[in-house]
Amino acid sequence: MEILKMNNVSLTYQTVEQETKAIENITLSIEDGEFIALVGPSGCGKTTILSLISGLMKPSGGTITLMGKPVERPGSETGYMLQRDMLFEWRTIEKNILLGPEIHRNLSDEVKGKAEDLLKKYGLWEFRDRYPGQLSGGMRQRAALIRTLALDPKLLLLDEPFSALDFQTRLSVCNDVYEIIKSEKKTALLVTHDISEAVSLADRIVVLSARPAVVKKTFVIDIDAPTPLKRREKSEFGKWFDTIWKEVSV
Amino acid sequence: MKKQKSEHELFIYKNRNRKIKIIVVQVLILICFLGLWELAAQLEWIDSFITSSPSRVIKMLGELKEQGLWKHIGTTLYECVIGFAVSTALGSLIAVALWWSDFLRKVLEPYIVVLNSLPKIALGPIIIIWVGADAKAIIMMTVLICIIVTIISTLGGLMATDEGKILLMRSMGATKRQILTKLVLPGSVPTFLSVLKINVGLAWVGTIMGEYLVSGAGLGYLIIYGGQVFKLDLVMTSTVILCFLAAVMYFAVALVERFFKKRSF
Ligand SMILES: Nc1ncnc2c1ncn2[C@@H]1O[C@H](COP(=O)(O)OP(=O)(O)OP(=O)(O)O)[C@@H](O)[C@H]1O
Ligand SMILES: [Mg+2]
Repeated sequence: MEILKMNNVSLTYQTVEQETKAIENITLSIEDGEFIALVGPSGCGKTTILSLISGLMKPSGGTITLMGKPVERPGSETGYMLQRDMLFEWRTIEKNILLGPEIHRNLSDEVKGKAEDLLKKYGLWEFRDRYPGQLSGGMRQRAALIRTLALDPKLLLLDEPFSALDFQTRLSVCNDVYEIIKSEKKTALLVTHDISEAVSLADRIVVLSARPAVVKKTFVIDIDAPTPLKRREKSEFGKWFDTIWKEVSV
Repeated sequence: MKKQKSEHELFIYKNRNRKIKIIVVQVLILICFLGLWELAAQLEWIDSFITSSPSRVIKMLGELKEQGLWKHIGTTLYECVIGFAVSTALGSLIAVALWWSDFLRKVLEPYIVVLNSLPKIALGPIIIIWVGADAKAIIMMTVLICIIVTIISTLGGLMATDEGKILLMRSMGATKRQILTKLVLPGSVPTFLSVLKINVGLAWVGTIMGEYLVSGAGLGYLIIYGGQVFKLDLVMTSTVILCFLAAVMYFAVALVERFFKKRSF
């Protein structure tokens, strides 16, 4: 089933000084259960694409549909995860995770039960009454993902979610996040600068051009391995890395 | 047999020891100061007519008790607390309104800047003429002195909210009101607490200044009156009481701070 369909989407930012054409004629579709990575040069418009899909902005041209319905405003069909974890320091981990349901005024026992299950399943149950400041970077990022999942979104939008972490943590959190997303059967769209990260995670990699972004090329990554870490050990990994790297840099 | 202390117990023990030491030294300094003052006055190293002395202050306290000490304290305390409460509440409300409306904020910005740099005491005569030469004028002076600082500092705290967190809430479909109540306000509690502390100090400045300008009662009045008739005992005694009251109010705010730090929102 097709979850997301972007058709000839473009966006121009207006400021007093100038007009900035960020993206132009982006056409992209994502199937249920897919893990897509979006790579491209700095400032090419990746964050802009995620903002459009999440409904934070309206495109200047083209259409975006989520499960057949046009996107009009932010809703619970998409879950946005940002570069920093954005946990609220004054809320416990559990309260942080229930932020979404609280906003939607939907703190039913069912929702709470689901959040509890997620906490238990992904190793944060003992930390539910702690404050974010008492958790490690990796745990915080996991908590941020669970917060996103608490609204049960169909499509996860991940904007460089690991770039604030150091290299070691990054590999393991990347692995954790992948496993959580797969076991919750979510569809994900990941933006990253890090090509090896893209190759280790994605089913499909979409390479964007420099600003204004257009889709330059799409690659289906067919490395057969169960986890990102295992993928990195495979021989095809290096080959894919080189291919994508060349495509991004030319 | 004595049980070996665990590392944590040892840490707590050391920590407490240090705290006790600090308090002991603090008290010692006060005692030394008062003792020296008294000694110097008794031995006539200093002229206690001008400098007064602890024993004279105590004697003056006794005298004042006959002459409505409580009324003076009550008056000043009343003016100060009302001024403090009104300016804090009103100032915070205005700051929230300015956070809410970009337009209003841009419009009022120059006015606030000018009001902030204006020495409020210059408005004394105007206040007296407008609201009358009584407690109302003093409260007005206190509010004027505190409120601009409250608005500026609180607004600064509100505006410093992490853009990323706002974006996160918007992506979850939060309304502006929810962003205010769930993110901006709780995130600004530390700013608000520091504003409270600043305001305690400023409220006293405003009240005493107001009493210097107009008053028939209050500690500021006693100080001014004492100065005029050259009764330094009266001036010193009133100042000591003032120190005491300011300290009590500061600790009350510290209690509020403790309360806020303990709970999550
Ligand atoms: N609010 C805005 N107003 C004006 N221009 C903007 C705005 N946001 C982004 N831009 C411009 O649009 C272009 C694309 O920005 P965007 O943030 O989408 O890029 P990005 O690919 O996410 O970059 P990065 O890799 O640095 O995260 C950039 O040139 C940026 O300067
Ligand atoms: Mg970006």
